[in-house]
Amino acid sequence: MIAEIITIPGIILILGAFILPLLPEKLRSTVFLIFPIAALAVIFGRPDGYEVSGSLAGLELVLMQVDSLSRLFGIIFAATALIAGIYAWHIKELGQQLAALVYAGGAIGVTYAGDFFTLLVFWELMAVSSTWLVWARRTAESDAAGMRYLIFHVLGGGILLAGILWHLASTGSIAITMFSDLESTAAILMLIGVAINAAVIPLHAWLPDAYPKATITGAVFMSAFTTKSAVYVLIRVFPGWELLTWFGVAMAIYGVLYAVICKDMREILAYHIVSQVGFMVAGIGVGTEMALNGSAAHAYSHILYKSLMFMGAGAVLYATGTTKLVELGGLKKKMRWTMLLYMVGAFSISGLPLFNGFISKAMTVDAAGYAGNETVMLLLILAGVGTFLSVGLKLPYFTWFDKEDTDIEVQPLPVNMYIAMGMAAFLCIFYGLFPNTLYIYLPFETDYQPFTVYHFVEITQIALLTFAGFWLYRKKLAGERILALDVDWFYRVPAPFFRRVFVNAIDDLFDWTEKTVHNFAIRISGQFNNPMEWLNPFSKKEHQARTYSPPMDVIMVFVLFVTLIFGLFLIL
Amino acid sequence: MKNWQWIVLGILFLTTIVLEFTVLADYDSHWWNAIPAFYAIWGFLSCLAIIYVAKFISKNIVKRDPDYYDR
Repeated sequence: MIAEIITIPGIILILGAFILPLLPEKLRSTVFLIFPIAALAVIFGRPDGYEVSGSLAGLELVLMQVDSLSRLFGIIFAATALIAGIYAWHIKELGQQLAALVYAGGAIGVTYAGDFFTLLVFWELMAVSSTWLVWARRTAESDAAGMRYLIFHVLGGGILLAGILWHLASTGSIAITMFSDLESTAAILMLIGVAINAAVIPLHAWLPDAYPKATITGAVFMSAFTTKSAVYVLIRVFPGWELLTWFGVAMAIYGVLYAVICKDMREILAYHIVSQVGFMVAGIGVGTEMALNGSAAHAYSHILYKSLMFMGAGAVLYATGTTKLVELGGLKKKMRWTMLLYMVGAFSISGLPLFNGFISKAMTVDAAGYAGNETVMLLLILAGVGTFLSVGLKLPYFTWFDKEDTDIEVQPLPVNMYIAMGMAAFLCIFYGLFPNTLYIYLPFETDYQPFTVYHFVEITQIALLTFAGFWLYRKKLAGERILALDVDWFYRVPAPFFRRVFVNAIDDLFDWTEKTVHNFAIRISGQFNNPMEWLNPFSKKEHQARTYSPPMDVIMVFVLFVTLIFGLFLIL
Repeated sequence: MKNWQWIVLGILFLTTIVLEFTVLADYDSHWWNAIPAFYAIWGFLSCLAIIYVAKFISKNIVKRDPDYYDR
């Protein structure tokens, strides 16, 4: 039983967080990598239908349940934890290493959870541990953003818990099931809780707020786990909810519009996560086998290339100290390898043939078309144009090109960063060339063929003309110093007012009460510290305590004695 | 961008047009397959629309100074 529990892939990583602090600092970064590898080994070793269950307070818990969908997400989460661990190998800070392990463990735990309570526990672990990756940056900005992030996710977890409890009360079961479209209020509450983690607009503002302020390595972990574990839950529990289609399309377009507006590398990439998750959410809304396959495959591909791009942006931040496009440009000579590796990610995300975005994005978009939803298909293609425009052209152009050279000082990168980026880039190309190596792991069997003349014509025409449009209007997209308002305006602007009313005012009241009571006590004790002044008020002489000691003792003993007698009398 | 790069891209584009009229000539699973070079047109229009809409939103609604929330 114990052996089964500690070999649950999510638990392996979380246990790692207990083992790591016991080791000498020099070994930690290397030992860190053992846990995701062990988790991967277990994931490949567990057959479909494998279950670990237990009971707690009369509830039947299923701590681990394996099927093809959970395996797919388990593989990619563990693999990303490994790659990001290599990327962060040079970081010796224990707090970040532990947070990253628990965070990855939480994400893997969610994918294998067989009941809603287990899911919720891992879910909350993710929220708390990922907050640390924002705070570890240790700037005033990241402190505040981390707190907003945490509050948002605690709220989301609370709504999810409310839905779970409601569901438990009405059905008596906490086993993870599939809900039919708008089945019950409990299901809708749970959907809202999950939608917060999936960054469904208008509940997305925590993402572009926190990710650009996280640590260089923390952002890589964050780009992979929170939103994609939410996508997993959506696929598992809410497939075919029609409203998800339209929310997904809205996210896809909203995300790219902001990715065009924003002028900071990591902010652009963060907004672009919203857009990409929109593709997945739209696929889940369509709900056919092909669409769900597409969403799952797209989540898989997305984690690879998005973490690669965040690693690239992190490398630029590490080397130059900034990610603002207005301060960058002309880095192509000084950071050639980073550029090439980033471009692999950029071509992948843009869905160009022979890269891994192509094999999953085309599937999702086509699924919408096959399901008779051609408007959705066209709008997703439009969002895809925005993808190529913002992260495939604008971001690299104003970072590495635009000028012939630059006088920015560039720090050399640690080798492990290149290795991690190289691994992610290799996988992006590998899956792009051999799509069946991914397709065999999809939840439904598929004979989908991405390499067709039709797809080649479609994607080449779109990419070429997008490039032409970018080239004509590139001046409009140049870097500038801006802050783009988003829906976080609605809570960030009134926040000082609410803080004054609900925090400062209450603090002040407590302060005032404490001070008043304290002063009162001081005055009373001042008056009564020498009882002789009261017992003998008429003498002028100074009352010194020691001169009165013996008579005082007698009086005090008498008082005590009388009190005791009265006390006994009352009791008896 | 150098001239030869533009020429490569141009040839690539012509290839897709040729393929569209030969290999895909009778392909009509979507209504827009009847329009020649539809994906090129849609791609270009989408690109312009995104640039202009983003610029419009930025300029009129969401653009602020970087220290907006700190003041």
